[in-house]
Amino acid sequence: MRRLLFAVVFVLAAAAVDGRQGAPLPAVADSVKFAVIGDNGTGDAPQYAVGQQMAAARAAFPFSFVLMLGDNLYGRQTPQDFVDKFERPYMPLLHAGVQFYASLGNHDDQSHRFYKPFNMNGERYYTFAKKNVRFVALDSNLLDSRQLAWIESVLKARDEGWTICYFHHPLYSNAGRHGSNVALRVALEPLLVRYGVDVVFSGHDHVYERLKPQKGITYFVEGSAGQLRKGDVKPGESTAAFFDTDQTFMLVEVAGDELRFEARSRTGHVVDSGTVRRAVENGTRGAL
Amino acid sequence: MRRQALSHQGIVLHHRRTWTAVSLFTFASDHFLLLPIGASIAFVWANVAGESYFRLSQALAFMVNEVGMAFFFALIGQEIVEAVMPGGALHSWRRWGLPLVGAAGGIAGAAATYLVYVAVKHETLLIQAWPVACAVDIAISYYVLKLILPRSAILPFVLVLGIASNIVGVIVVAVRQPLVEAQAIGTIAVLLAIGLAMLLRAWRVPTFWPYLAICGTASWWAFYWMGIHPALAFLPIVALLPHEPRHLDPLAPPPDDDATHHFEHEWNHLVQVVLFFFGLVNAGVAVRGYDTGTWALLTAALVGRPLGVLFAVGVAVLLGLHRPPRVGWRHLVVAALATSSGFTFALFFATGLFPIGPVLQQITIGAVLTSVGIVITLAVAHLLGVGRWARRRHHTQHHPWPHVERPPSP
Repeated sequence: MRRLLFAVVFVLAAAAVDGRQGAPLPAVADSVKFAVIGDNGTGDAPQYAVGQQMAAARAAFPFSFVLMLGDNLYGRQTPQDFVDKFERPYMPLLHAGVQFYASLGNHDDQSHRFYKPFNMNGERYYTFAKKNVRFVALDSNLLDSRQLAWIESVLKARDEGWTICYFHHPLYSNAGRHGSNVALRVALEPLLVRYGVDVVFSGHDHVYERLKPQKGITYFVEGSAGQLRKGDVKPGESTAAFFDTDQTFMLVEVAGDELRFEARSRTGHVVDSGTVRRAVENGTRGAL
Repeated sequence: MRRQALSHQGIVLHHRRTWTAVSLFTFASDHFLLLPIGASIAFVWANVAGESYFRLSQALAFMVNEVGMAFFFALIGQEIVEAVMPGGALHSWRRWGLPLVGAAGGIAGAAATYLVYVAVKHETLLIQAWPVACAVDIAISYYVLKLILPRSAILPFVLVLGIASNIVGVIVVAVRQPLVEAQAIGTIAVLLAIGLAMLLRAWRVPTFWPYLAICGTASWWAFYWMGIHPALAFLPIVALLPHEPRHLDPLAPPPDDDATHHFEHEWNHLVQVVLFFFGLVNAGVAVRGYDTGTWALLTAALVGRPLGVLFAVGVAVLLGLHRPPRVGWRHLVVAALATSSGFTFALFFATGLFPIGPVLQQITIGAVLTSVGIVITLAVAHLLGVGRWARRRHHTQHHPWPHVERPPSP
């Protein structure tokens, strides 16, 4: 009951700040539009329901690609499992030409990087750009020195514009089962801060959580697009919003110096929304 | 006058404190306590103030794991060389047959259990951690068994078994991606280091320092360039160091009775300090970091390895190999369980195989938790009435176990 009250208060607070609770994203013609899912590959009914909601959302918000935050397939990983746990749940999206850009979770076989629809080009970590947004997909399972050097080189050479990193294990999380991965944070965060990364998406904890900006970076935990650990979030001081009573996915739109986001539940309800503004000149960033 | 007296008192107090600190350090060092102390501090620190802990541990990791541990492996190498020399505790090759078979069985049992576990859970990423499951903490297994069965023929058996079990892990961990295309230069540097060590030996240089400082350094860089774990870099030099056979406890601090052993005595203290930092840097992990790898490792170490050892030894005995004198099956059960703790070697293999990240964390927790094997071993020994508990039964019961060993004659 207390948890439900907390969730309601957070949702209402987010709505009050943003003033657009439940309202569709503006879907500006020239913006970068994408969806985010994490810990999705169960092959169970909730994953299929989320897939249907994503397809339905696309009618009003025509996103062209999806970021996958890892644990793309649970359990067996045979070719049939790729069909049951990825291709069928997202069939309408795949047929519509939506691209999926995967990162690797702890349950994923390393060979996923060769699976064409995941667009990893055989790499554990990779980068791509869409208009004014640079996306950097990392492999947080094995953060070796080569990967760290690669991250630095990519971030150093990035263009002006948004930089969004995504990987499986959260640097900040208030979920009870896993929580923040401090060892990863100590190794990775200095690079993200130094090179002005704007937003980080992670999964692993089977909940949705938005963190208050940490050292100028807005962190999202979106690990409930298939799995769900009900009531797992222990909201802390760093929690900006959370939802842990149903599966979720995210819709994101980047237009100019604004990044608008919505977290939607399996039933299509908006459970969190807001805007992250990028203000490079005075070095301030943050979610509203 | 009063001031003089006070200052004298102060000096005495200062000396007393210094003496206490030195004797505490010596005690901790001689009893292999610095590693568990470092590991305990790390574990608490990582869970209380994780950010400061991981900042320190990641800053020190290279110096400790790649440089400091070279001294540890050199000492282990030195001890093995001296133990197998004429007059050494493991000199007789007849003692090697059964424990080698046991080691092979333990490796197969641990690796198979681990791999089956991760396969059932479909966690293919964890497959490459199988050498960690094969790790045996030689010192822990030896001293736990010594506590139960002092002066038993099972002690060298376990020692050989532990050494042989770790060789597989060492080989797997040793091979890395070369840093630069310097294979040829690296090979030449190793050969030069070995050649120089041979010269020093021919000149009968009695102290270890020139061997380690010149030949060891050259070898370290060569290993580093060639993509071989540099912590193993002193091993080619170790065989050429001055040696004296060890008649006593192969793992105990060497007796300070001649120049060679005096150096080893000091070297041992240095290694214990290194092990303190090794525990501090590597054993700190958030409790919530446990996952499939943790349980797979524990199952492999506590169930797979002991069963593998016992099965292999059983088959070997059926085929005609002899058990060590006055060692029954109950002793072998306890010995097999004593090898279940992987601790130091498991941590070393884990850090050698995995970079920073959640995989390393779950394996690290498993490696630390294999120490539970100590408690299980003691409990089973008590239950089976082996060793020190057998003697108690002998005194308290009218009909003791008929095949229990008697205390060894002096």
